Amino acid sequence: MVAFQLILNGVSLGAVYAMVAVGFALVFNILKFSNFSQGGVITVTAYAGFIVNQILKTNFFITLMATAVIGGFVALVVERLAFRRLRTKQSPVILYFVSSITMGMLLENLIVISFSSNFYSYPKFFNTTVVKFLGLTVATSDLLMLVISVLALVILMFILHRTKIGIAVRALSMDGPTTSLMGVNVSLVVSAVFFMVGALGGMAGVFLGINYTLYPQIGQMIVKGFIASVIGGLGNIAGAVIGAFLLGLLEVGLTSIDWIGSGLAPVVVFFVMLIFLILRPQGIAGKIIHEKA
Amino acid sequence: MGFLISLLTTTSITIVGVTGVFLITGLTGMFSLGQASFMAIGAYGAGVLAVSWGIPFPIAAGAGIVLSAVTAFLVGLPTIRLRRDYIALVTFGFGEAIIAILNNTVQITGGAMGLMGIPMLTTFPLAFGSAVVVVALAWNFKRSRFGRQCLALKTDELAARSMGIDVDRLKMTAFVLSAAVTGYAGVLYAFYTSYVEPNNFNWTKSAEWIIMVFFGGIGSLSGAVLSAIILGSLPEILRFASEWRIVAYCLIVLAVINFRPSGLLGELELDDIFKAIRHGRKRRSV
Repeated sequence: MVAFQLILNGVSLGAVYAMVAVGFALVFNILKFSNFSQGGVITVTAYAGFIVNQILKTNFFITLMATAVIGGFVALVVERLAFRRLRTKQSPVILYFVSSITMGMLLENLIVISFSSNFYSYPKFFNTTVVKFLGLTVATSDLLMLVISVLALVILMFILHRTKIGIAVRALSMDGPTTSLMGVNVSLVVSAVFFMVGALGGMAGVFLGINYTLYPQIGQMIVKGFIASVIGGLGNIAGAVIGAFLLGLLEVGLTSIDWIGSGLAPVVVFFVMLIFLILRPQGIAGKIIHEKA
Repeated sequence: MGFLISLLTTTSITIVGVTGVFLITGLTGMFSLGQASFMAIGAYGAGVLAVSWGIPFPIAAGAGIVLSAVTAFLVGLPTIRLRRDYIALVTFGFGEAIIAILNNTVQITGGAMGLMGIPMLTTFPLAFGSAVVVVALAWNFKRSRFGRQCLALKTDELAARSMGIDVDRLKMTAFVLSAAVTGYAGVLYAFYTSYVEPNNFNWTKSAEWIIMVFFGGIGSLSGAVLSAIILGSLPEILRFASEWRIVAYCLIVLAVINFRPSGLLGELELDDIFKAIRHGRKRRSV
């Protein structure tokens, strides 16, 4: 049963990584750059969730929803300040990249200033820490993390594939100028994408805060999302999800091995990523994105 | 006076590091978000040799540089032929891995406690001299055939390839060279502060340097050095506002990216500016 517990741990951790990785893939799809500001958004939302809970004494679900909304708005602000002007001036991709790094650092340091570098711990949301499930004992937080992340991803997929705005997003990821010529309000679509990505980041922030502790550098967990994206294939949403689950399982598996533990797990993960790049640089999903000539 | 000397020394070390970043980001347009880990390899490599085995400084420094270069070669091997984003992501993961290794090899590196007791051998003349030498090297590299090929590659990789430039090899050369220079910055840093810990070398350090190269103008070595002097010494001067300095720094950079995206100097080098001024004078006198 220990093995089952480990697998569930891994899958639920993978689900959180999937939210980060999908957010990353979405932005990569439409703007073609690696959005490092997401780390800052995650840090801000993790703290926002903590504050909402402390002040309003909200329960888990309301905290999570409030945080998702806050995350969405933070991401909107980030887009407005860091990327809007670059987009209208059609700047090279490199500038987006630097802008997003700077924005991530800015948000992280604003949190450091407001809350110092102390560690906080999220309150216990649940009275029962474990649930019995088909005769198995499962941690409540793990189970909720898994269910809610999967639900969020399903909703996202629904939006992307069944709604008008989703079609616009997918069109934009194929060809920006043509989409604009077809009468799509590109700024609106980009804002919508950032809102969705921010909301995903907000939920991931709360989960990460519950899973680990709350500290300003928590946003640097986005590196997991990036690794998942590399394993899955850059800019590929389905690939990102698969990569994230694999990464979650791998990490939990590695941590359970005595001589590796949580300390050296990042090293092994890095080598796995390198091997992946050597054997299958296009990622699991298999489409190579070519640099435009 | 002591403050001034220490300020000039740290700024010189920053110049060496930023020049290392310039060699990769400024010349080829690739991003290394794990550049600080090459600094860590240089710092720890030389530091451990000096502390545990009592190896003299020049040999330890050389070993640190070589170690950085060799590691960069190994990291570059699978990644350099891929799209540029991958280099940023892989070096980012590499940085995390290096910090994890440093934290977990307690017997050798002291783990999270840091490596203590490195002899303080980096003096101001050494740091300043190193900065001058490294900048001169980078300057000549930029002006050489290699450098011109790099600029072609940065602007359009496909076009460069079709002109017969060995793009993969060129990228690798720039990457290894930049790691070696950054490794040397790490050596100088370790032997200046006499104490290093893994957290000195996280990805924000790498990001800071990339930002400096950008602030000065991508493609301009003079700009990179200038912004290393301005942005590198600013935090030290603004110590009294230490909490806000990184915020101020980020805001400045965001403003530059948004309103003067080519950076302070754009592609210009100092001698271009001098030439322009001299040219202008001549015209006026005629």
